[in-house]
Amino acid sequence: MNILIGTLVLWGLALWMLRKMQGQDAADRTAMWARSKATVIFMLPRILVGLLGAGFLAVLLPVDQIEQNFGTESGLMGITLATIFGLITPGGPFVAYAIGAAAMKAGATLAPLMAYVTAWSIVNLNRSIAYELPLMGRHFLLLRTILSVPVPMVLGLLVWAFQ
Amino acid sequence: MATEKPLPGSTTPKKLIDGSLIFITLVAVVAGIAVYVTHGAGAFWDVVARETLFTGALVPKIVAGVIMASALPFLVSKERIQALVGPESGMRGLIIATLAGAIVPGGPSVTYPLTVSLLAAGADLGAGIALVSGWVLLGLNRTLIWEFSFLPADFVLLRVALSLPVPILLGWATRKLYQGRDV
Repeated sequence: MNILIGTLVLWGLALWMLRKMQGQDAADRTAMWARSKATVIFMLPRILVGLLGAGFLAVLLPVDQIEQNFGTESGLMGITLATIFGLITPGGPFVAYAIGAAAMKAGATLAPLMAYVTAWSIVNLNRSIAYELPLMGRHFLLLRTILSVPVPMVLGLLVWAFQ
Repeated sequence: MATEKPLPGSTTPKKLIDGSLIFITLVAVVAGIAVYVTHGAGAFWDVVARETLFTGALVPKIVAGVIMASALPFLVSKERIQALVGPESGMRGLIIATLAGAIVPGGPSVTYPLTVSLLAAGADLGAGIALVSGWVLLGLNRTLIWEFSFLPADFVLLRVALSLPVPILLGWATRKLYQGRDV
């Protein structure tokens, strides 16, 4: 359902931009369609292969282990573990939220939860393999990952310090 | 200086088979074999069917996103994009990129092509990093639809508040790192 609404909103925007393109040169429109076609041909095999790889990895990764172990440690150790768990948690748009909610019910404190959700949001294995590496390239992915990995630790420590 | 390597993400992808595709293919093949061996043929084909169907369901979204990304440089001039989010756009450019990342709907199949398109049209790498970081940390769509349904509102609000400056900081750090290098 979410994907349908999203697709409709996007098509609304795309059609609006196409209408604006009518005011441009015919050559611009031809160039735009050529670029669109090349990009779709570039993206489709990558997204299929990336999603297959991420899907297989999700089967292999011990998600139930993450659910069991997360939040049992607190302090720096707990925040570090939660960050690592967040980075490797696979799955679609809400798996990490569900795991986080379950961990909270099981007694996880706010600081590791913050580190976990932030880590999964900012860099996750699934999105890196299925989309970011093939579409943005290795340099962009590495740069963003290196800059981003400290963030969940810092946010977790901030919450821990002020709790 | 023509031989200097272009900055990451600053060119439109052209090669159909490149290192990244080979790498993700290897990951898929090795992980696929591992699933087949450890979990059996049933689990293997489950993943193949599910992800193939999902890719099929993504196609209309991908096409719409790509049309937007391709049309953008024709509708907004390079000078305008450079002024908004180019190398000289300063803190304001990073804030604009972060906000754009937070509000653009459509997920990775839209945000990444849009970022590539903006980078090719005059945005700098710092703005590109701020845009992607704004999307992953503050994306309104994911936060409103999914995060609030699973996690307590005060936790989500605290996370968003703490994350607000992060994309700007990461974009700024990128600019510092690449200072002095021509785009």
